[in-house]
Formats: sequence, structure tokens, C-alpha cells
Amino acid sequence: MTKRILLGVVAIALVIVAAYANFFVAPTERTMGVIQRIFYFHAATAWAGEMVFFVCFVANLLYVWKREQKYDWLGVTCAEVGIACITVVLITGPIWAHPVWGIWWTWDARLTSTFVLWLLYVSYLLLRTLIEEPGRRALLSALFGIFAFLDVPLVFFSIRWWRTQHPAPVIMGGQGSGLDPTMSKVFFFNVLVMHIFCVFLIVERYILEKLRHDVDLLQREAEVQ
Amino acid sequence: MALFSNTATLLGKELRTEFRSRELLTTTSVFILIVLVLFSFATNPGTEEAREFAPGLLWLAILFASSLMFQSCFLREQANDTLSSLRLAVSDPFAIFLAKLIANTLFLLLTEALMLPFFAIFYNITVWSQLPILSLVLLLGSFGIAIAGTAISAISAQARMRELLLPLLLLPLLTPVLVVSATVTGSLLDRDPVIQWKGIAFLGVFDMIFLTALWIFGQYFLEE
Amino acid sequence: MKNLDSVFAAYVIGWGIFFVFFLSIARRTSALRAEVDRLKNSISRPK
Repeated sequence: MTKRILLGVVAIALVIVAAYANFFVAPTERTMGVIQRIFYFHAATAWAGEMVFFVCFVANLLYVWKREQKYDWLGVTCAEVGIACITVVLITGPIWAHPVWGIWWTWDARLTSTFVLWLLYVSYLLLRTLIEEPGRRALLSALFGIFAFLDVPLVFFSIRWWRTQHPAPVIMGGQGSGLDPTMSKVFFFNVLVMHIFCVFLIVERYILEKLRHDVDLLQREAEVQ
Repeated sequence: MALFSNTATLLGKELRTEFRSRELLTTTSVFILIVLVLFSFATNPGTEEAREFAPGLLWLAILFASSLMFQSCFLREQANDTLSSLRLAVSDPFAIFLAKLIANTLFLLLTEALMLPFFAIFYNITVWSQLPILSLVLLLGSFGIAIAGTAISAISAQARMRELLLPLLLLPLLTPVLVVSATVTGSLLDRDPVIQWKGIAFLGVFDMIFLTALWIFGQYFLEE
Repeated sequence: MKNLDSVFAAYVIGWGIFFVFFLSIARRTSALRAEVDRLKNSISRPK
């Protein structure tokens, strides 16, 4: 219990430090101005979200292989936390894009595949609500999760190679390409912080899943008596 | 090899079942026709823009039709409780999937062949000259749709609200097929036709990846 | 500074989403903990 509280406190503290760094340590970007500061939060959350979905994929594989409940719990946990991250990404992105490029959205490879990723994992969660039996639910959703994760790079490259006729602004403009060293440090600090924050969310959500299981067991025991 | 003989036997069963009643083929063909007509009402057919959109609309129609067509794929087995006997009859459960997805590909190709003339007429597009390569694109695209569709059909058959669930799960997965097939078909049917071999290769890669995934994980879809 | 309100909007909405998510987890967790205690009591009582 104390370890959980410690993790939570550390995560929140780091988030606050990162926010401070985003606004006061990172220099103002020359062309975009203040609005560019959204980038640190937005892109770091995107990276963390993708990592969380990768963990979901691994959990799905492990469940199909080993059939241990904990992998199912980890899978649904990571799916939900991942969706939270990608929702933040899909909302902060347009808020950044509109003042700078005058458009809320463009169908470039990164945005489209992020949106499809979001749709696929929302479907993953919906699928789980539509199967009652826990063992079957765990297996079928794990299988769908595997197929969904395999699909995402295919979506990304199909759009990248066949949908670039119209000149579209590269929304994440100069990310990584010649970033000012201070900006670079702030960015990677944000990446670290968002990963830690996601670990915190995963722990909390996982415990919820385990509690649900405990309640089911106890309910069955109570019925027997 | 046992896998191929099992698959051949099951494929024969699938084809015989369908051709006895032909209900799947007829309803799917009519559905694609209706979708094409509706598209022409929604857009402005006969204009230059309509010709630009036509290949995309064609593949969209195929996708919608397939999400209906695959409903019965595993539901048929559930309704008659034949899945357990199928599993006992074959040494490798992948044979069941292979048979179904080959059958589904064939059914899709048949419906596409039936409505291609209508498509050509409605949108004033000559398909005849590009027929060989177009057939290849239709084959690879339909095969990819069938692989994903058969897998998802096995999942949705075991869940509630399966009529809505199957398109929900299937359509996002098939985005790459839609994008690439539509683009390749478009450049093929253009005034100055271009064969996009990279796109055709991509469709092949998509098919291979999902076929391999289905080969590895197929047995788990059908577990009791 | 122009666009500062957009920056704030992004951070507030973004962290708002995480906060709502965490809140829903915490709410469900405490409800389930109460349920666990209730069930444990009802099982240990009639003996």
C-alpha cells in the first residue's frame, strides 16, 4: 500500500516538475512561439501510449500462451490506460495544430494511424463487454488484441506511401530533427515522466481488475453458503 | 499432406453448401449493387470527380458487403452445432480456417465479377483493358479481406451483438487494404493507366502477415 | 502572448482526461473494497 502511495506521489511530483520545465526551462520556439510548448506534453504522451499498447500486445501473447489470469488483467489495464493516453494525444494535437496551421485535422500517416489505433482498442474493450464467460472473454480479446497490434504498422505505412499526394503539413514538424539541446532534454524528460505516470495508472487499474476477481470469488462463496 | 487434403474436403463442403442455395452470393451481389446505386445518388455521377472517387467507392462497397457476408461464416456452424464434429474430423484446426477463407475469397471474387460490369457502366470506366492486373488486385485484396473476415467472424460468433460487432472489429483492421486497393485500382483505371507494383506487393505482404497470424493462432479461436 | 490560451486549454483538457480516468478508477476501487468487506463479513457471520 505504501509503495503505491509513494509511486503516486512521485508520479504527480514529476508531472509538476515536467510542467514547470515545459513552461519555464524550455526556450520559446522561434517560428511557432508559445503554442509549441504543447508539443512536450503531446508527443511524450504519444510515445508513452504506444509503449503501453506494446505491453498490452505482450500481455495478450502471454495470455494465449500461458492462460494465466494476470495477463488478461494486464491486457485490459493497458488497453484502458493506452486509450486514455491516445485520447489526450488526439485532443491536444488539434488544439496545437489549429492556431499554427489553421486546420484541426489532416489525414497524414501519423494522425490517421493514431486514430485507427484508438478505434481498434476501443473495439477491443467493446468486445470484452459482449462476452460473458471470463475465460472465453480473455482468450478472444487477447487474439483480437494481437491482430489489432499487428495491423497498426500496416495502417501507418499504407497511408504514408499511398496518401501523400496532397501537400499536408507535417504536424509534428521538427520533432527530433534538429531540436535545440535544451528542448531535447525537456522533451525526453517529459517522455520519462509520462512513462512513470502511465506505470502509476497501470498499477491502480490492475488492482481494480484484481479486486473485481476477488469480489466474484467471494460472491460465489457466499452463494454456496 | 493431411492439411491440404482436409482443407480440400472442407472446401468442397463449403462450396457445396453455398451453391445448393446460393443465398449468400445472391444477397451479397444485390447488396453491392444497391450500395453502388446509393453512392451514385450521394455523389454526382458522370462528372470527372465521380470517376476519381469510383475506385474508392468500389472497394468501400466490397468492404461493406464482406462485413455482411462473413456473418454466417461461423454462425452457420454454431446454429447446427457442427463445429465440434469439424474439429474432430481434422488433424489441424487450421484446415477449417483455410477452407473457409478460400471459400470466402471465391465468393467475394464471384460477387465482384458479377458487379464489375455494372460498376463500369455506372461510372463510364473501361475495365476490360486492365482486366488481368485488376483481377490480381481484386484477388489479393479479397484474399486479405477474407483472412481478416474469417478470423473476426470466429470471434464475433462467440459474442453478443455479433451483427454489429463483426463490422466494428473488421473494418478498422482492413484500413490498409482499403487505402492501397483503392489507390492501385484508381491508377489502373485512370486515363493513363499505371501499374503500382509496390501497392500490389503491399497487399501481398498484408495477406501473408495475417495468414501467418491466423495459422499460428487459429486453433485458439475454435477452442471449446 | 498570443495562443497562450490554447496552450493552457491543451494542458488543462489533457490532464483533465487523465484526472477523470484516475477518478473513475479510484471510485470503482473503493466501491469494490467495500463490497469485499461486506461479502467477507456475510461469509464469516453465519457459522
